[in-house]
Amino acid sequence: MVRGWARLERLVSAAQNGRIAQCQLPKRKRKVLPRVAGARFCSTEQTLHPTIRPVNAVERTTLTEYGQYIAECMPKYVQKVQITAGNELEVLIAPEGVIPVLTFLKDHTNGQYTCLTDLCGVDMPSRAFRFEVVYNLLSVRFNSRIRVKTYTDELTPVDSACEVYAGANWYEREVWDMYGVFFANHPDLRRILTDYGFEGHPFRKDFPLSGYVEVRYDDEAKRVVVEPLELAQEFRKFDLNAPWEQFPKFRDHVPAEDIPIKEEKE
Amino acid sequence: MAARKLTTGLTGLAVATSPHHTLGVLYGKILRCLQKMPSDSAYRRYTEQIISDRNNHVKTEPDVTKLEKAINAGQIEEVIVQAEKELSLARKMLEWKAWEPLAQEPPKGQWQWPIK
Repeated sequence: MVRGWARLERLVSAAQNGRIAQCQLPKRKRKVLPRVAGARFCSTEQTLHPTIRPVNAVERTTLTEYGQYIAECMPKYVQKVQITAGNELEVLIAPEGVIPVLTFLKDHTNGQYTCLTDLCGVDMPSRAFRFEVVYNLLSVRFNSRIRVKTYTDELTPVDSACEVYAGANWYEREVWDMYGVFFANHPDLRRILTDYGFEGHPFRKDFPLSGYVEVRYDDEAKRVVVEPLELAQEFRKFDLNAPWEQFPKFRDHVPAEDIPIKEEKE
Repeated sequence: MAARKLTTGLTGLAVATSPHHTLGVLYGKILRCLQKMPSDSAYRRYTEQIISDRNNHVKTEPDVTKLEKAINAGQIEEVIVQAEKELSLARKMLEWKAWEPLAQEPPKGQWQWPIK
């Protein structure tokens, strides 16, 4: 340990004196280097900073073209295609297109997204359709990932993806439990994460952090009792931004870039 | 004579005995199914291109190993699975009529992020 530490100290002092070029890096550390060097190949910019994610222009073009391909093949359901700052392709579809679009992505030869890696919900109460349902897919054949999003509200059912991906079963139960999104034609739509007799959907934004009931052991009754909780405070909007500026350069959220969907030739 | 292939190495995927025949039948079915779609449908155009391309390889190349290389989509058994899936998809596409224009516009601000 001491030896290693002394070596590191020597390295640091060498670096400070600008002798790092002559200094030999430990062999284990050397393996990490190509990852940073590899970033140089995918970036077009000369000024590459180690803490900035390099721009992979090739991947971005490929994904853009693939997004247009999907939109062109399924014009009935695809509302919007976008690509995030981190090169993630997102297909935003109408709720009735869940089964067709997922089946297309899974069964088409130029896609083969055979694996549903994740399915989750998002709650944004200010929107007309407050819930988003997000499907993350993986294509093992092409080593590629894609995200499909759709929307719904408390009452509108979404078609269950179980008939396309058997793995969607439990994920949809989770979304049902946490957000109360109803999935039509689900084989077994029950609660999965919350306790027996639980009421409400805890991931909704209007669900209080403390819950509505309190569970405690009652010494006189000699059993666990469930009592309604007195909410100590009114609904409060938390401002999660720090009062000081941490990374002023990266303050703005980089929005996802729209991919233009080609208009049909009339 | 090349050694007979014993396994694909993939669970649940048996070695195909006559891949050329199977693929020929499947590709024929897919192409006939695509004929029923409107000719300007993007799905029909792209899929016809892929399938007829593969079909030509199947017709011209009798050797399975070379055929796998020419198609370049994994082992021939996997190519058969892909064809089966494409066929079921093409039939479903006919039902859905997915080439029609957008059925439902999103409500205003639905996909806006971050929320202003």
